[in-house]
Amino acid sequence: MKIQKKFCILICCCALCVMRYVVPCFAQGNDKLVLLSKQIIEAKTDDELYGYFEELSNIYFEGNKYTEFIDFLKSLAEKKKKIEPFINYYVGLTRYRQLKYLEEKQIWDEYFSQGNTYRDEITAAMQKVVDTAQVSEPLRLYARLILWQFHKDQQDVFVDQALTDLMDSAFEYAKTAHDTKPIKIVADKLSSYGEKGKSKELYRIYADKTISSEIKDDELKEIAFGFYKEGNLDLAETFYDVYIGRLIKNLNPQKTVPLLIDIARQFSYKDRQPNDPLYAEKIFEKIEGLAGEKGFDQDLIYLRALNLEKAKEYVKAKDLYLKLIDSKAPYLDKITYKIGIIYTYILGDIKQGKDYFGKLAQKQSPIGRASLYQLGLLAQWQNDPDKAKECYNKLTENTGELAASPETISLANERLREIEDGEPLEYSLRTFLDAALKERNLSLQEKGISLNCHPYEAKKNEEVNIASTSYTSSSGCLQVEIQYLWSGQLGKTKPSADTPSFSTSYSEAGTKEINLVVVSPSGITGANFDLLDID
Amino acid sequence: MKLSTNKRNTIEHQGICHRDTGFKPVHRCTGALVFLFFLSFLLGASFKPASKVSVKKLKNGHFRLLVDRKPYIVKGVCYNPIPIGKNHESDWWSDPNKPWIVDGKLMKEMGVNTIRIYQPGDNPEEVKKVIRDLYELYGIRTILGNWLGFWEYPCPFYGDKDFQERVKNEVIRMVELYKDEPGVLLWILGNENNYSCLGRVNPWSNDEIDKEPDPQKKNAIRARIYYSFVNDIAGKIHEIDPNHPVALGNGELLGLESANQYCPDIDLVACIIYRGRTFGNLFNSLKATFDRPVVIAEFGADVYDAYLKKEDQNMQAFFLESQWRQIYSNIANAPQGAGNCLGGTIFEWSDEWWKHDENNPDSWKVHDTESNWSNGSYYFDIKAEGNKNMNEEWFGIVALSEELEDGLNKRIPRKAYYVIREFWKNPTIKKPKVKGKK
Repeated sequence: MKIQKKFCILICCCALCVMRYVVPCFAQGNDKLVLLSKQIIEAKTDDELYGYFEELSNIYFEGNKYTEFIDFLKSLAEKKKKIEPFINYYVGLTRYRQLKYLEEKQIWDEYFSQGNTYRDEITAAMQKVVDTAQVSEPLRLYARLILWQFHKDQQDVFVDQALTDLMDSAFEYAKTAHDTKPIKIVADKLSSYGEKGKSKELYRIYADKTISSEIKDDELKEIAFGFYKEGNLDLAETFYDVYIGRLIKNLNPQKTVPLLIDIARQFSYKDRQPNDPLYAEKIFEKIEGLAGEKGFDQDLIYLRALNLEKAKEYVKAKDLYLKLIDSKAPYLDKITYKIGIIYTYILGDIKQGKDYFGKLAQKQSPIGRASLYQLGLLAQWQNDPDKAKECYNKLTENTGELAASPETISLANERLREIEDGEPLEYSLRTFLDAALKERNLSLQEKGISLNCHPYEAKKNEEVNIASTSYTSSSGCLQVEIQYLWSGQLGKTKPSADTPSFSTSYSEAGTKEINLVVVSPSGITGANFDLLDID
Repeated sequence: MKLSTNKRNTIEHQGICHRDTGFKPVHRCTGALVFLFFLSFLLGASFKPASKVSVKKLKNGHFRLLVDRKPYIVKGVCYNPIPIGKNHESDWWSDPNKPWIVDGKLMKEMGVNTIRIYQPGDNPEEVKKVIRDLYELYGIRTILGNWLGFWEYPCPFYGDKDFQERVKNEVIRMVELYKDEPGVLLWILGNENNYSCLGRVNPWSNDEIDKEPDPQKKNAIRARIYYSFVNDIAGKIHEIDPNHPVALGNGELLGLESANQYCPDIDLVACIIYRGRTFGNLFNSLKATFDRPVVIAEFGADVYDAYLKKEDQNMQAFFLESQWRQIYSNIANAPQGAGNCLGGTIFEWSDEWWKHDENNPDSWKVHDTESNWSNGSYYFDIKAEGNKNMNEEWFGIVALSEELEDGLNKRIPRKAYYVIREFWKNPTIKKPKVKGKK
């Protein structure tokens, strides 16, 4: 008994200790609630209410206390009739958040037993807001937004109509309201849901309304750059467009071009920073329009070409690389190799491709050896084993170079073995070469397959992720066996035919081409290739 | 019982464009039939005339299924009660323990009003017995289908006239055998056979296709041949059975633009859809490509979480409940829906333990957890190895136990059974307002 008594005392002490911390916290929260309630009741304008309700909802949402919040809202509604639209909005929002929470946390009993009731509450409450709030009130727009998000999440039949209603509400709101922030909030949400076209429409409205004639060019540029840093490229581009429009209108080309170059550099492809190669190219075109070819020095031509290469605009990239071919740029060998690759595999012009590889073949460097390998490979594919052997042998004869080009030499040895054993080219490689060089009706940039590497500019032994996505038509529960025939310079990994993506690394420098052919039971469904650079 | 050989047509009935089979209902039939009815009644047989099932197009363009002139929403399950340890060749129709009696009772308690059979068994008397038992004891109607030779080795030769004739005769025989069964609801021709037109699943060819070099044109020729063939069968069925609509079994909506061209005699589409929690834009897309009503003839979710490697009944219930909400949002006169959905048959009633390794009898006794296909729309377990998250042996809304009860594997309803039962009790979809006050 004594032990039991002691144990009880110990428990009580512990409980008191815990209460010492918990009660003040609860009381603090309570105090905040009391204060916010008071502020809401005493608020004289709707503008004040937005902030108070936001704060209030955050307190409850942080603790996932959804039903408690609804009870609180109802008690608040009894005290002040005028806040009814806010109460309705937050009831709907709370149920929306609650449903998402139940699904995310897999609290299924409540989800199944109350789900339909909550759904009805969301639509009913938001509809009341739409019916009672003025067109110029942000609350009405937010209610439309939640209704659209709700139907979008449910993937139900009402989603198209909900989106139309949301956009209509946003346009109506923009006509009458002065506060532009709600438009941006809606645009951001649309963008995060992948509705890029719609979000751009609203960003344009937001920019038009935000940018008054008083705002200075530098401020405008700063705002645009701020959105760029946030990673909101759509909005940044919208602001930059206005900024560029002003520059072109107000400044002479000599002053405009350097500023445009900065923007083009900013948006050009980079592995680890926000970029939009197509937007960058749009700016490059403006530079060209203003200054002609004089607007571009060697480095800028190279940047533009590389940017186009990453945008998979290979032919345009090749044309720009050709402008640098007589220069003494440090990347001359690299661009010569790339011109050879593009002529060969994109344009199917083997003769031109060989010419460019030939320019490099005598060089004692990784790129020289890679060019020799390409020459050997093309000869082997063209059934000229002697010529192929000659190239491969030249490439492998100096064993001292093994350390500098282990991967290329290994590939060359494989090809030599095939020739010596009288075997055909390795199946995946031959299928790719046939697709690229013989069956020219099969474009390498087949829309059915996308292929991407990350990073595109890697260091030796750095991990590179290579991923493909093939867009094949549905086959229901009848699974179609898809084969991924990888070839080219794949680094240390040998991906199997059933994998659409893999990670690898390279121990030698140079430009690496990744080849892919996707095959289904009905034959080749597409092919693609990509280039990456190892420093 | 054979009423007429008229072709089906569309009639105007009380101002409503009525997609109908155009025949007099059975209960208006001749004195001979009445005599037959009383005779059978006197003999103690519970004789019921075959129901008149039709598809009605409403003034607003929506579709409704009518059974004896009353609206009917298909609340169904795909039914293939293969016992543990047996494979698809198992003849459950002749099982003296009558699994359909046990299942029918559970189905009725759930609210199921229809079962879908992919293809009837070989013995017509046994098949009739099952259809009658389910209908007479539980009011459950049966959709009967035919594979149209889809699984024949080495492939279905739809481009071959002899093959077509043989398959057509097989279907006609099925219709002749069962069309007078009161429990029969409708016929489904094929299942996902249209995928073979793309040459990716069970590919087939003929001289005409072989001569065509363009792959797109090859597919178009296959589609013309296949859908014309199905329409030919549908037309023949309408000649001999005016009382039951004919559905085109189709995987997704693929090929339905060809069906629109070549299948005027098809009354409705029986779609096989696995799109996770939703059917997406299916109902509106169907309206645009092939304006026929649809029964979602195969949909559902497996109950095995391939990522966490454990059964998750909530996951299955979640998907099924969401899918049924979609179905009810698109039935006739539902607010804002396409109004062309007639209901659905869940895949499936009970688990089938033979499916994963179908050539290995030892594995038929094992509830395999290995998945052999991937579907990202079922997102809870898509992170499973190789993204393979769909477990063929675990689609039942009723689990089978190795424990026997009256000679049958004990049936254990899963959560989805109860969740859908509750949904069906109160499936109202409220109408959201389109426009608010300005």
